[in-house]
Amino acid sequence: MSKPVKIVIAGEGGQGVQAVAEILAEAGYEEGREALYIPNFGVEQRGGVSVAFLQIGDEPIGSPKFAKADIVVALSERAVGRTFQYVGPETVFVYDTLAAPDEKDMPPEVKQVLPIPGVETAKKELHPRVFNVLIMGAVIKATGVVNLENAKKALEKRLGHKFAQNPKLRDLNHRALERGMELVGEVMQGG
Amino acid sequence: MAEKVIAGEKRVFMTGNEVVAWAALAAGAEIMYGYPITPQNEIMHYWTRLAPKYNRKFLQTEDELSAGFTTVGGVMAGKRAFTATAGPGNTLMQEPISMAEAMRLPFVAMIIQRGGPSTGTVIYSQQEVMMTVLGGNGEGLRIVYSTANHQELFDYSIKAFDTAWKYRFPTFVLADGYQGKMREPLTIYDPDDRGIKISDTEPYVGRPGTPGVDRPPGHYRNTYNVEEELYEVLQDHIKDFESIADEVSEYESMASDDAELLVVAHGVVARAAKQATEALRQQGLKVGYFRPITLRPLPSTPLREAVNRAGRMLVVESAYGQLGRLLKEALYGATAEFIPYYKPGVGFTPEEIMARCRELIT
Repeated sequence: MSKPVKIVIAGEGGQGVQAVAEILAEAGYEEGREALYIPNFGVEQRGGVSVAFLQIGDEPIGSPKFAKADIVVALSERAVGRTFQYVGPETVFVYDTLAAPDEKDMPPEVKQVLPIPGVETAKKELHPRVFNVLIMGAVIKATGVVNLENAKKALEKRLGHKFAQNPKLRDLNHRALERGMELVGEVMQGG
Repeated sequence: MAEKVIAGEKRVFMTGNEVVAWAALAAGAEIMYGYPITPQNEIMHYWTRLAPKYNRKFLQTEDELSAGFTTVGGVMAGKRAFTATAGPGNTLMQEPISMAEAMRLPFVAMIIQRGGPSTGTVIYSQQEVMMTVLGGNGEGLRIVYSTANHQELFDYSIKAFDTAWKYRFPTFVLADGYQGKMREPLTIYDPDDRGIKISDTEPYVGRPGTPGVDRPPGHYRNTYNVEEELYEVLQDHIKDFESIADEVSEYESMASDDAELLVVAHGVVARAAKQATEALRQQGLKVGYFRPITLRPLPSTPLREAVNRAGRMLVVESAYGQLGRLLKEALYGATAEFIPYYKPGVGFTPEEIMARCRELIT
């Protein structure tokens, strides 16, 4: 039996982690695979670390929460600390270089650590608003849970109405997706 | 009859709250009464968005007491009515639910549990089991389905309307914040297309004819002058409830025939319990799985058989022994070892359950 890929994405409120997880789940579902997405939520309206739990596999998904993830993506310093509990010896740990934790604050046991300059790249090369789409590309590259075409389809479903008004946005989002994949590709080779 | 809401079988990917709204539409629910509370808000949100398209209605009340009583009113007017709530809302709603129980009204409510006591968390728990099953000042003459996935959430939300009107007992779908908020795939359908019949509704009040002449008088009471009068009425209700228990109760079990340890869980926790059981079986450990789908009435006979065969049971729940208490009552006199694994207000992973089972069995 194949196990589902378990993904945790965490960031500050407003970084768009829930949207990324939702679009990825949608993309997995559109591929005909099984997917389960659940956000964390609390009494706060804003502020605090936002965590998304996502599983994509070939058989119906079991429990919505899990002990250790296959990949943890932490997009802020606080998110790094918040997600430690999901990092184990089999986990690929991706973090944004702007959130670079001290060596002593890194998870002790981890399969691979992939630092990527997501925030900076989005800001300098693209637009800060497509930061989360860049992260989506990074997750796709690191896990292979969905292919690029289906990811684009899922983006279209979600943002198609905005793309229709401004076709440049489609291009920008696609570039962000591809750039995210490249960033992870580079560190994976380097590591 | 209402027009078709869902044409053909449709594979969808949505949140549990959205699933409930679609199920109520598909079941022909005519009106929802409600008051917002997390984590069930989106049931109302989706209902209010969808209902006008299908000529259904919605009334937002000032609180859950009122949402409960207006549901009672809707039912008495012969409408396929329902409400949804959670946590402290469920607490407030116990009074109208008790009234519905007293008057044998087909009151339908979806309960999306959150952590307690009081405001607690808005997230998740299985701490509303006792309240939903036995709450209020009555005898708990209610039917409670505890769902574990979105397909069941759809199927049992439809079924609840049939069960309630068929047996005339308040009927609940008991889910939780995880189920309400998570997205997963399921197939939605029109019950009629699958040959699923939902009991007709009829008004309790305002019926034609002269009471006592053209038809028997309607006698819907929740007030009695003498003890014996109440006692007499309750005897009938209790007899009716006990007589339907075998027909209404449902369960799911796996690998329980030769199990030496039986994992018992309900609702979303049962997903983790089932995964753990499957994994342990693959490793050659004799673990079994039993899940009551109806928490009221419990599937007592199959439960007793499975527990007696195994001789030991691990009861796993996100509450401090609420399912546990119900099981103990159903199993009174059995000699199986009862091992609790309680985490009030917190979810379970399959890994935790596996680890506990391994400790117990090796």
